[in-house]
Amino acid sequence: MQINYARKEISCKLVYYGPGMSGKTTNLEIIHEKVPDQHKGEMTSIATEGDRTLFFDFLPLDLGQVRGMTTKFQLYTVPGQVYYASTRKLVLQGADGVIFVADSSADKIEENLESLRDLQANLAEYGVNIEQIPLVIQWNKRDLPNALPVEELEKKVNLFNAVTTEAVAAMGEGVLSTLKIAAGLILDRLNAKEPGAAPSAAAPRPVKAEEPKKEIFVARVNADMISKTYFNQYCQTQYRLSSRTDDVEDFKKFSVDEKKRLLESLLNHALLLQDAKKRGVAATKEEIGKQLSVFARRFTKKEELDAYLVRRKLSMDNLTNEATKNVIIAKMISDVIPDLSDRVKITEAEVKEYYANHKDRFDGKPIGEVKDELVARVKAKRKKSLLDEFFQILREQAAIEVFEQNLS
Amino acid sequence: MKDEQLREKRLVYYQEDVEQIEKLLQEFLKLSNAKAIFLIDKEGHLVSQEGATETMHTETLSALVAGSFAATKEMARMLGESEFSVMFHQGKRDHIHISLVSDRAISAIVFDEQTTVGMVNLYAKELIVKLEKIFSVASKRINQEHKMEEGYSESVQDRLDDMFKE
Ligand SMILES: Nc1nc2c(ncn2[C@@H]2O[C@H](COP(=O)(O)OP(=O)(O)O)[C@@H](O)[C@H]2O)c(=O)[nH]1
Repeated sequence: MQINYARKEISCKLVYYGPGMSGKTTNLEIIHEKVPDQHKGEMTSIATEGDRTLFFDFLPLDLGQVRGMTTKFQLYTVPGQVYYASTRKLVLQGADGVIFVADSSADKIEENLESLRDLQANLAEYGVNIEQIPLVIQWNKRDLPNALPVEELEKKVNLFNAVTTEAVAAMGEGVLSTLKIAAGLILDRLNAKEPGAAPSAAAPRPVKAEEPKKEIFVARVNADMISKTYFNQYCQTQYRLSSRTDDVEDFKKFSVDEKKRLLESLLNHALLLQDAKKRGVAATKEEIGKQLSVFARRFTKKEELDAYLVRRKLSMDNLTNEATKNVIIAKMISDVIPDLSDRVKITEAEVKEYYANHKDRFDGKPIGEVKDELVARVKAKRKKSLLDEFFQILREQAAIEVFEQNLS
Repeated sequence: MKDEQLREKRLVYYQEDVEQIEKLLQEFLKLSNAKAIFLIDKEGHLVSQEGATETMHTETLSALVAGSFAATKEMARMLGESEFSVMFHQGKRDHIHISLVSDRAISAIVFDEQTTVGMVNLYAKELIVKLEKIFSVASKRINQEHKMEEGYSESVQDRLDDMFKE
């Protein structure tokens, strides 16, 4: 953005981004067609091969004086084709905002995602966080018979919680409203932020209307309240562990009974943590760090981790809390629970009994061959029952309240 | 120079800076005999223009100059240069001389047979040193607060509405 006090002029750069053929140029053409001459310059298309955009399309808009400032928007599109990757990056330099034109067709999901990640990476090269730049996603081609429902697109493509609009650009629908929203997001910042402030200090992006946040709780364990948000996150993780899907709304697929069971284990965790506190068992910084780095190993880049957190609606604080809990729980289980490890010493007779009861699991192999596995299983079983016993004792002394009406 | 300010996206030009810049540009045109000169920021926004610019699409020209500069930067990178600081396009009648001004702006000079590329080059070098001084002073001032009038953003959106109705 350039603010020129001598010319009393503000000039903003707005880039239309998205996969090839999603309708970026069409957006510009519609604007060019509808805007009267005194408000626009020539539309320039730097294309040589066929009629696909090679370099960029460019359309300068001059809104005239607004509150004493001549206001201009320079609209750019980028080529969507993979082989123009470096051009896409060039055009993004100095962009004040991005309109991501997504193709709503069912078979374009992957292309949309790929392009959005490409945008994220290219912005990152200029030191810009995609979550902080004004970003509007336009679900274009709503007229197509195979257009996905907007809710599905929101879930699958809107990785960064951007403001979204719907459009049939070819018919001129939604083109203006998208432009207006982007302009608003860009200019709202002028009064929200110190010009010299670091990008991270930018005003939080206004998201679609959300109902005012009021904390809802699902249970109380002594003095600790378990919030619904936390419970949902927990369910979500559990669902993912068992089904390996990656959808932020998956926890909704659990039945009330399943949720009750999950809540039981959360209550146990809470009890265990409270007991740990009483005993002075805590997690050291190093231990938490180690736990976090084990988790972070799943991601090759910082950006990937960031994207994951956004998708899961988690913050770094959430992760750290979770890591702390895991460390403490592991410590409690291995060290503190009174002579647990001693009591998991098992006898030959117990092993034989387990073998007799579960013969079918060992494909008729003789006991000598599966000894190690047998011992491990018996130990795990014993450990579990000792833990249950331990939890039972804790629970008897605790004040626990479950707010069932808040579970669903 | 990896200055944080280079990444600063909101380029601000104050009255006094632009007045000085305009004076320098006029002086340059007199000395070099070139037709026109544009000063463009690296994002493609025009900062200032002098000379016979009426018939030129200055906004588009600015966008193109910044775009092609960025593209040659990519070229330079491949050759192991960080940036080409001067570019020259020769036409039948008019020629254009493009050079980098500090790390944040680009000057585009249009000239014809009234002068030579050597003359333009010579005076452009002088000009650039002077412009860089102005920028360096200006960039230290960049933290100044500048707020738009209350309701500016809403008014812009209303204007867009009007434009589409006309
Ligand atoms: N059905 C339909 N087609 C559209 C729509 N918007 C654009 N198109 C078509 O999609 C094709 C690609 O559009 P274009 O703007 O060139 O895409 P770009 O590569 O993103 O610039 C063209 O044939 C357009 O007519 C729309 O809303 N609905």
